Amino acid sequence: MPIEQPTAKKMPVNKMPIAEALRTVQRPTFLGITFDDAMHYFFRGNATVSILVLFLIVIFLFKEGGGFFSQNVQNLEIYRKAGLEYVDIVRTRVDNHRTLGRFLGELRTKQLNLLHGDESALAGYDAAVERFSVTIDEYQGFVSEYTEVATGIKEKFKIGLDMEVAKQNFQREGKFEESGKIVIPEIDFATETQIFRDSVPQIKVIDEKFHTEVNASLESFPAMPSVELQPQLEKFKELVKLHQEDVRTMEKSLTEWNWQKPIPWYETFTSFIFGRNWLTASFWQDWYGIIPLFVGSLIIAILSIAIAVPFAIGAAIYVNQVATRHEQNLIKPYIEFVSAVPSVVWGFFGIAVVGQLIRTVSELGVVSWVPFFPIAERLNIATASCLLAIMAIPTIFSLAEDAIQNVPNAYTESSLALGATKFQTIWIIMIPSALSGIVSAIILGLGRVIGETMVVLLCSGGRIQIPDFSKGLGIFFQPVHTMTGIIAQEMGEVANGAIHYRALFMVGIVLFFISLLLNYAAQQVVKRYKISIG
Amino acid sequence: MSTTLEKSANQKKKEEAMSINSLINPSMESMMTETKPKPIIEIDNVDFYYGATKALHGITLNIEPKKVTAFIGPSGCGKSTLLRCINRMNDLVDIARVGAGQFRISGVDIYHPSVDVIELRKRVGMVFQKSNPFPKSIYENIVYGLRIQGINDKKRLDEVVEKSLRGAALWDEVKDRLHDSALGLSGGQMQRICIARAIAVDPEIILMDEPCSALDPIATAKVEELIHELKTKFTIVIVTHNMQQAGRCSDTTAFFYLGKLIEIGNTEKIFTNPTQQQTEDYITGRFG
Ligand SMILES: Nc1ncnc2c1ncn2[C@@H]1O[C@H](COP(=O)(O)OP(=O)(O)O)[C@@H](O)[C@H]1O
Ligand SMILES: [Mg+2]
Repeated sequence: MPIEQPTAKKMPVNKMPIAEALRTVQRPTFLGITFDDAMHYFFRGNATVSILVLFLIVIFLFKEGGGFFSQNVQNLEIYRKAGLEYVDIVRTRVDNHRTLGRFLGELRTKQLNLLHGDESALAGYDAAVERFSVTIDEYQGFVSEYTEVATGIKEKFKIGLDMEVAKQNFQREGKFEESGKIVIPEIDFATETQIFRDSVPQIKVIDEKFHTEVNASLESFPAMPSVELQPQLEKFKELVKLHQEDVRTMEKSLTEWNWQKPIPWYETFTSFIFGRNWLTASFWQDWYGIIPLFVGSLIIAILSIAIAVPFAIGAAIYVNQVATRHEQNLIKPYIEFVSAVPSVVWGFFGIAVVGQLIRTVSELGVVSWVPFFPIAERLNIATASCLLAIMAIPTIFSLAEDAIQNVPNAYTESSLALGATKFQTIWIIMIPSALSGIVSAIILGLGRVIGETMVVLLCSGGRIQIPDFSKGLGIFFQPVHTMTGIIAQEMGEVANGAIHYRALFMVGIVLFFISLLLNYAAQQVVKRYKISIG
Repeated sequence: MSTTLEKSANQKKKEEAMSINSLINPSMESMMTETKPKPIIEIDNVDFYYGATKALHGITLNIEPKKVTAFIGPSGCGKSTLLRCINRMNDLVDIARVGAGQFRISGVDIYHPSVDVIELRKRVGMVFQKSNPFPKSIYENIVYGLRIQGINDKKRLDEVVEKSLRGAALWDEVKDRLHDSALGLSGGQMQRICIARAIAVDPEIILMDEPCSALDPIATAKVEELIHELKTKFTIVIVTHNMQQAGRCSDTTAFFYLGKLIEIGNTEKIFTNPTQQQTEDYITGRFG
């Protein structure tokens, strides 16, 4: 066959001989840069800018959050120096005593139920309870008295701090005259706190009276009208014994208390990372412990993932492997559409519908045998988790579906060709092959859920408290607060640069690290377990 | 066929031959004594590495213009590696590097920094093992190389498309469906589209890496016939696994083993009277 047709005019694409071309042809350049190079620099520039911006954001986050620790040192120091710590030693005992009192109250309710509301048999019991309750009154008086003293010292200190700030502001503005006028009064903590040390003998006196009276009150308890409640009363008496032990150690703690004792350097960190209280804007003492928020976030996230995973993975397998094309075209966009719903709408839906629904269901007679039903709070972990599960499903679904899609067709075909059924192929070949992708989808879904703010803010109940784990599964029906929620809720109210503001930044940093960790974990899962069937 | 004694003697001879610089390898010597036109590709004592692994050991060979040269040898012996060096496709592999030696085309060292790799690839086309037309129409596949050079003149493009498709012996089969997707063609047709696409930019050299290994015998025969036609215009270097194919369509054959060039010579001679025992063993199917 002739290569050149007579009609085709010869018009070579390459006019230069090859040797000459290789020697002489160069890409056109501008200032010594070819177009390819320019593109290269342009894209590299873009990448650099984004990395830089990200870096600056991280720096900012750390700059704002990092200051928390030095301010928290001061916060903890004043707690000790002003004697708040001293008062709290006694206050804890008072609170414990109250808790024991509530135990008696619950016991009374049970007894009353058994007696069908007949109070007459409880007269002796009530008298004993009253006798037990008043034993703490003198401590109570002590606490009230010294609370005022401690708050007074703290106030003075705070005024000093404010003056310090004012002075610095003047100096920064160059108004040295004004700044010179501000004389910050020195607080002599030694004399100020002398009053606490002087109060130790007083406590000793109260102590003795307390123990004799408690013992007497315990003896005055009559036997419970219902025999089956007697063990509970005995249990109460044992608890009181422990309480008394504890009160005995109090005197030692008070004697040893010293305003000068230095705060260990790590305490500012541990009080944040392991702190069990998040208490802000309180008249007494602020605590910035992340544990209640962290636990809240964690439980909500885990529960929502537990709810979302079966639905999302099941849907992914179904859509990819079983569904007809028509069904696929129907289901996929619908699930993906869910992620287009703004989260505040979900939150609203959660409050108005889901929370109410959960409570109504828990009040039904049929489920009254469930130990923690009916539930008290409409907005709780379960409400938030249900909503978050709905929000996580599209994320997990899409990523898992991709992972399944990426399993080479040859695997499925080979399996089917060996006589495996469709479901055998799905279980034995496809899911294991896609497992790394599915796991990373779940991890990324977890990240999505932990980072979600609006829904948890609206639906989790907003109670800053570590949920009561002793309630078993009932834990899922308690209200909590979360890390994201607290930032959204409190950030608007705090003063720029205040310790509370910085504490919120620290919570942000913790969130940042959690996300980082989850993303890294997802990457590692994909990388390490690429495609392999166990 | 041969006694043990003879065999060991043969072995010895071979080892000697391999230990000497391959420039004065007997097979090369015999090749150089024949009068030949000036080679278009000169591969000069090349070492090639993937990371720390040496994939090519001191390869020296010349390729003549307007001839078909076949690279044969067992899998993994470095045929593709060597082929991809000729148009610097190995630049795309991060860990790959030429450790020593030179590749010259028409006397120009193609790894010299002043050589423009884009220009090189325009002049040294390549056809891959798996036919890989773009998901575009047949027409657009063929003119891709011209369009990226800024040639958009419709008349000119039409002309090149017809010429290239005729050159690839495909014109009659596809002339009525030039604007259909190239992915709708048969395997053999797709591979010939790739060849047409390669010759459309009018290269001097065409590299083919096992172009027929995915094709049925009839399609293979067509491509082989095409290769035969093309050598009047182009220098062709072809990697093949198929002895018969090398025998049928090449003028020169080079046999590689474990990253070394064992023997190169006139195809007829290599197939009928190889100087090296390993070559003979491979060609007669005793290993490989
Ligand atoms: N991209 C690569 N990275 C690392 N090693 C490679 C790469 N490509 C090929 N090799 C190695 O180089 C050797 C030669 O490979 P190749 O040139 O593909 O052989 P052939 O084409 O003769 O079968 C083989 O051992 C192969 O494992
Ligand atoms: Mg190869």
